[in-house]
Amino acid sequence: MKVLVINAGSSSLKYQLYDMTDESVLAKGLVERIGMDSSIVTHKPTGGTEVTEVSEILEHTTAIRKVLSLLTDPEHGVIGSVDEIEAVGHRVVHGGEYFGESALVDGDVKTKIRLLFDLAPLHNPASMMGIKAAESNMNVPQVVVFDTAFHQSMPEHAYLYAIPRVLYSKHKVRRYGAHGTSHEFVSKTAAEFLNRPIEDLKIISCHVGNGASVTAVKGGRSIDTSMGMTPLEGLMMGTRSGDLDPAIVPYVMNKEELTVNEVNSMLNKHSGLLAISGISSDMREITDGMQKGDANSKLAFDMYEYRLRKYIGSYAAVMNGVDVITFTAGVGENSVVLRKKVCENLTYLGVELDDELNEIRSGEPRRISTANSKVEVLVIPTNEELVIARDTNRIVQGLMS
Amino acid sequence: MYFKKIGVIGGGTMGQGIAEMLAARGLDVLLVEKTPERLDYSYSMIELSLDKQLEKWAITQAEKKLILGRIHKVVHLAELGTCDMVIETISEDLDAKKQVFSQLDQVCPNHIILASNTSSLSLTELASSTMYPERVIGMHFIHPVSKVDLVEIIRGLKTSDTTFTETKRFVEEVVHKKGIMVYESPGFVTSRMICLMINEALHILQEGVASAEDIDDAMRIGYQFQHGPLEMADRFGLDSVEAALDRMFREFGELKYRPSTVLKKMVRAGHLGVKTGEGFFKYDKDGDRV
Repeated sequence: MKVLVINAGSSSLKYQLYDMTDESVLAKGLVERIGMDSSIVTHKPTGGTEVTEVSEILEHTTAIRKVLSLLTDPEHGVIGSVDEIEAVGHRVVHGGEYFGESALVDGDVKTKIRLLFDLAPLHNPASMMGIKAAESNMNVPQVVVFDTAFHQSMPEHAYLYAIPRVLYSKHKVRRYGAHGTSHEFVSKTAAEFLNRPIEDLKIISCHVGNGASVTAVKGGRSIDTSMGMTPLEGLMMGTRSGDLDPAIVPYVMNKEELTVNEVNSMLNKHSGLLAISGISSDMREITDGMQKGDANSKLAFDMYEYRLRKYIGSYAAVMNGVDVITFTAGVGENSVVLRKKVCENLTYLGVELDDELNEIRSGEPRRISTANSKVEVLVIPTNEELVIARDTNRIVQGLMS
Repeated sequence: MYFKKIGVIGGGTMGQGIAEMLAARGLDVLLVEKTPERLDYSYSMIELSLDKQLEKWAITQAEKKLILGRIHKVVHLAELGTCDMVIETISEDLDAKKQVFSQLDQVCPNHIILASNTSSLSLTELASSTMYPERVIGMHFIHPVSKVDLVEIIRGLKTSDTTFTETKRFVEEVVHKKGIMVYESPGFVTSRMICLMINEALHILQEGVASAEDIDDAMRIGYQFQHGPLEMADRFGLDSVEAALDRMFREFGELKYRPSTVLKKMVRAGHLGVKTGEGFFKYDKDGDRV
């Protein structure tokens, strides 16, 4: 089966076409600046040359039409006709409490995604546009895969906040988490890599990229995660503050005469690595700065590492132990120095880092701890698109049989 | 109707605010001023306003660039022919506005909505200078445009239902502000009520009932106004308040609209409020109270 995976943002749309017989990617690409007269489409057929086109794409329906025409293009295309695509899989950020797993799109599912616009005002409307756009261009089953679904297994004592319960019953204020697709993929891959049943493992999964979260995965289920009702809670990130004393918000709003929008923007876009280093939100530039002796970069790095390590420690406590620590995403897969610093200070857990293995760069899952280490430390490149393609394939196959 | 490219005529305080707000919502803006120099000045003021927001963490450097990139400078009305809507924001001079509308009538296809940001002039009279008065409407934004989420949508006598519903849709779904429907009447709802309150505050001051500071505190703290009525007057410009009251006094003929003598005296003395650094209170060049 050929599956088209779509990740729609408010003004962008990423896509990958999978052939599920061997899980290979036939082509991938990106439509940027949707809604403007100079939208950019970048299309890359596997093994072929990348094509870039600039044209006017005013909404998502036109964007999908453009993608389909590129996929079937005599020169740059990879399929003969649109009919070869048998299913579409969509990434949706927020599934609320409705979705504990991926779902086939129908009227009810669409209504629920719409009901969640309030909780994910930037993301869910965009996903909805992607779904509608695919619907109007193709007549095939569609599947939605949620960033929050994996975390729906968290127990009440982990997902509730200690605030008046009426806020939960009335407004569904609770922890939902994010990066679920990635945490699930990484923890499963780790168990396969170690050739051990996931049911027996206590895994701490660190997804550290521009956005970052840590999840405690016990027996294959998420039992706690660092992101909260929104992706602002938890670790320090590129431009997001992560955890802070909630009393700071009204205090600062009052002192600086900030509006709700301004304080939201401050915490989401002007904080994190960017705020402390004063240079960049990108870990590569922070590491460079630190190595050149810049004190602010060093402080930003130290805070980032310290907060990540604090979460690892607390999740070891949550699970009463840890068998595996995994690193994934941009920073987790590439920052040798961050992994080293974290692991060097976790010896009390029995972590023993192998410096040579840690320095190897590769796109494959790999172990970076020594043979004697009581905790396996792994680097597992994440692949959220593949999870979406697999879920779509599984659900649609089930539908057909 | 599809709203993507909007013409904004006049680069004064309101024109700047409207252009900046529209661009921040992702719309392309053609900003019109009479000369390249005035255009450059308006553009630099928008830049300054964005810098202030950057300082307050409201936007990022990248967002500032994107917003500025969407504002295009134009010196001829003839270039507005491709706009999906035009908003006029020049000074409150009926003849000058009429001239702009009759020119727009020639330039813009007859289904394009022509809006005026007038706060008190007659839409019906403005529309009379055009061949298609049904597409003329009032869209009264309130300063500071990026922070105040209310727009008075004013229907002239001949404004069509389509023009009104499309304008309301533009205000609520594209610009994400609340639009209220107002039938043409001097001062509409907001200016009429706020100018009367300011005038009453001036009478209270004049009668020695309370000091300027205390009058403002009464309304600010007692009724949760962001600024008290006298500071509000300073921010609008005392000359503008006087002009608005005068116009309502003439139109309605009722004494309650007659501008207080304190106001007239202040205007004659050149104490116009924030823009001259002094009104009922003193202000620095950023417009903050000192």
